[in-house]
Amino acid sequence: MEWVRFIIGSLCIVCGLLIALIAAFGLFKFRFALNRMHAAAMTDTLGILMVLLGLIIMRGFCFDSLKLALIILFFWFASPVSSHLLAGMEVEISDRLKDNCDVEETERKGGVQ
Amino acid sequence: MTIPAVSGYFFGSAIIVIILIMFACLLRAIRGPEIADRIVAVNMLGTLTIMVICILSLWQNESYLLDVALIYAMISFLAVVVLTRVYLGVHREHLMNRKNREYFAEYADGDAASVAADAAAAVSGTDNAENASAAAPAGKGGDV
Repeated sequence: MEWVRFIIGSLCIVCGLLIALIAAFGLFKFRFALNRMHAAAMTDTLGILMVLLGLIIMRGFCFDSLKLALIILFFWFASPVSSHLLAGMEVEISDRLKDNCDVEETERKGGVQ
Repeated sequence: MTIPAVSGYFFGSAIIVIILIMFACLLRAIRGPEIADRIVAVNMLGTLTIMVICILSLWQNESYLLDVALIYAMISFLAVVVLTRVYLGVHREHLMNRKNREYFAEYADGDAASVAADAAAAVSGTDNAENASAAAPAGKGGDV
């Protein structure tokens, strides 16, 4: 039973590491900051979910697994907020936004209030 | 082979792989042409660090490292928010200074052509001023 738990947990961790590897590859493949943000946000949600879920499965049900679940929950709340702030900043300050995205000609009111 | 022996090897190799990914992120943070690229890379670096801390905590059976990871997550989020807001504030102040300079140039002489020239000078004016101040002492030294 211990071995089954260990193997399932390690498979989850390997999945998470693969996702982080793909995200790091995307950081170098894409040419624009918003595309890179799309790739890097994968680590913040799915990558950390898989790694910490694997650790929870290995550890079993105890207080430590509650803390790990809290870390996942915090990341799922914090990651979209930071991505939103970053995207707003990029839209406001970038000079080559029109070369990379289809933007309509409207008056900018500032991305982040 | 017992579980602790196998898990030692597994956790060690997982941490090594994460550290290699972290070096790739660090490279992007150094090379990133824009400020947003750097902040994205630093954000991902923080996430990978939290993974390392959690794996280390299970490897060494030290549960207090999980508290460290939780605090690290909060500080990493705070760093992104603060960096974004501070950089936006600096950028807006820069824009407002430039707009003010163009406005006063327009009042100094109403001629439209000279206003445009002033605006162009305001954009590239800092470079010229620096070049001139750097060139002046050199010329004086040559005379003496």
